[in-house]
Amino acid sequence: MSLEIQPHLVGVLIALAILAATAATMYWMLHPPTTTAERAARETERDVEDIIGSVIVVFSAEIHSEHMMALAVRLAQRERAELLAAYVIEVPLTLPPDAVMEVEQRHALDVLATAEAIARQKSIEIRTETIKARQVAQGVLDLAKRRDAHLIVLGAYHEGKYSGAPLGRAIETIATSALCDVLIGVQGNRGKILTPYQHKPPKKTPDPEITY
Amino acid sequence: MPDSVSAKKAAEEQPSLRRSVTPWGSFSWGYSDVGADIFVGLGLVLGAAAGASNVAFLFAGLVYVCVGLAYTELAAAYPVAGGGQYFVLRGLGDIFGFIAGWAVLLDFTIDIVLFAWSCIDYLSKLLPFLAFTAHPWTHFGVVFAVIAGLAWLNVIGVRESSAFNEIVSGLDIASETAILFFGFLFAFRPEILIHTMQSAWPTPFNLMNGVSLAIISFVGLESISQAAQETQRPASVIPRTSISLILTILIFALSYSNLALGLQPWTPIPPDAHGHAQALWHYLGNEDNNGAAVQVLASMIPYYGALAALYVPVLGAILLLISSNSGVFGSSRIAYAMSHTQLLPSLFKKVHPKFRTPAVSIVVFCSFAILELFFAALPSLSPFFKETYARLFRGEDGITFLGDLYAFGAATSYSFVFIALIALRLNDPESPRKFKMPFNIPFKYRGVRVEFPIVAVIGFAGIFSILIFTMLTHLIGRIAGPSWIILGLIAYLVYRKRKGLPVFGSQKHDWRSQQAQILKNAGELELMDEYIANVKASDRLRSGEPAP
Repeated sequence: MSLEIQPHLVGVLIALAILAATAATMYWMLHPPTTTAERAARETERDVEDIIGSVIVVFSAEIHSEHMMALAVRLAQRERAELLAAYVIEVPLTLPPDAVMEVEQRHALDVLATAEAIARQKSIEIRTETIKARQVAQGVLDLAKRRDAHLIVLGAYHEGKYSGAPLGRAIETIATSALCDVLIGVQGNRGKILTPYQHKPPKKTPDPEITY
Repeated sequence: MPDSVSAKKAAEEQPSLRRSVTPWGSFSWGYSDVGADIFVGLGLVLGAAAGASNVAFLFAGLVYVCVGLAYTELAAAYPVAGGGQYFVLRGLGDIFGFIAGWAVLLDFTIDIVLFAWSCIDYLSKLLPFLAFTAHPWTHFGVVFAVIAGLAWLNVIGVRESSAFNEIVSGLDIASETAILFFGFLFAFRPEILIHTMQSAWPTPFNLMNGVSLAIISFVGLESISQAAQETQRPASVIPRTSISLILTILIFALSYSNLALGLQPWTPIPPDAHGHAQALWHYLGNEDNNGAAVQVLASMIPYYGALAALYVPVLGAILLLISSNSGVFGSSRIAYAMSHTQLLPSLFKKVHPKFRTPAVSIVVFCSFAILELFFAALPSLSPFFKETYARLFRGEDGITFLGDLYAFGAATSYSFVFIALIALRLNDPESPRKFKMPFNIPFKYRGVRVEFPIVAVIGFAGIFSILIFTMLTHLIGRIAGPSWIILGLIAYLVYRKRKGLPVFGSQKHDWRSQQAQILKNAGELELMDEYIANVKASDRLRSGEPAP
């Protein structure tokens, strides 16, 4: 028996045809037609990819955004966005705009240090900034414009039952006037923006008639 | 109170299957079942059809294309678990649904034994002490242990993961493409193929026998339709994965058979038991090698054969084991579905209290599989039975007996699926068919435009002829196959009579609401809208109302 290989032209052609047919079949199978919902999802995904370039997470005396900060860090980690944590100190009209407010500034340092720690845990680079403004909303809007932000992230607070802006006036103003997307974390019924998942159903409210 | 009613209704609703099967997952679900068939079928067909094995595969392959197209259309139109049994139930009614499902159950039990048997045959190429001819008792014991082990794993709820299936399928496609590519590239000689076909052309009887065995290389496509309920966007994805599976398996089966007949072996072929030289097809089809023909063929390819001889037994054995396991899983799942539609007693939908698996179904059908194993292995275990089989059944060996029954079950259920497809085309023209079999004759039926599928008629003729070939050429299959169906049918009639259900007729089903719900659950909302619009339009047409 000869141990020399002498490929036959027919064999070569069949071998190539098998390879091409199998590869073409697999390619065709793995690229099925898309549905309307999938096309819409893809477009949204593209839009989001465009907008998430620079993210500002806002803190102030009333706006607690730690949970949102953690979410923003995860977002930045996946999307490679630039992250800026900003603490806005509201300067009363009775004081000059550059007044030294030691207590507030100290508090801002604490909050921003926490924000940095959250980012560090996920190995995300973050810049921090303390700004002073007459109104938190205007301060945030100016900062967003100056930094060319694509997304403002902030936690919400309830201002009071009879206020025209139940989520807080600052948040209402930012949400309606910002030129970029705004992501607001609204407090849950347990007083936290994110409440731990409960397996038990929520307690039933007692009937008014039998409440003493 | 409406709220409490809806809450109660929601609580009563069964959790639906998660739609997590991707296009590749759907393909590999089918491939892990049907892809293993060529590992078993090649040797059996070469042993029966000799020089016309490629013709036998071509004939069975053409029938398989028709079967595949029918399943593709039905699975895309009715994306629910249950496969062929559901289509027949819906198209032809309860009793035919039972017969089709019962035939599929026969196939699944054979699937368990045949693939476990062949899995050990492949392993024996690396571990000679498992060889069937040299050590029949060891072979029998290990196959028995594999079946018992699979039954146990399925009872306690352990299955191979989808990811594992997907990886093995991917590796196997790459491996088989490589075997065929290098085989044709290095060692295929057209003159050997022509000479073998001329010199070893079988008798018509053997050719029919070969065709009836060749169909087993194509059984298992319905796994895709059984997973339809878990597939993402089934109406779009299933046509692609089914057609790809049809093409891939057809390419492999036709290529292997032609390669086996036209290969210039790289290593010498050992002489037969009488010391005579033998042709490659004969060597691959003899009792020593017919259970592991792909591995033996691969080892004969220049250069690549040395590598293939090492890994093909392992890869083949894994794929065959998965296929055997799909028989255990599939039989219990079909029995569970048939029990829900009251085609089988409620015993089969009993779930194990601890493991939450249909333990009764698993144990019952694995017991049937073990009975079949005994029947297949007896001639090799005892000279008395060898003599008896030789006298009564022309000396068919165990694996051929299993192959016969496998072909019988598949041909029976496929025949009903073709008839159901035609019936559904006439009675349910409203269901949107994102994929339709080609070549249809449009006409009006009960005032509505329907399309009559020509390919379904051709496919039915083809599969029915294979059923006839199986009955004509296999003595055991001729008795055991119809006996399975008749005994099952008697049990069905008794059960239905006892339960006060229609014995020969069907229970009432609200197919329209079910179909809308099926499409909604499938996430095919556009198709659901189309279906509802079609139903309204055909109702208007039938009642003679003008269009709005």
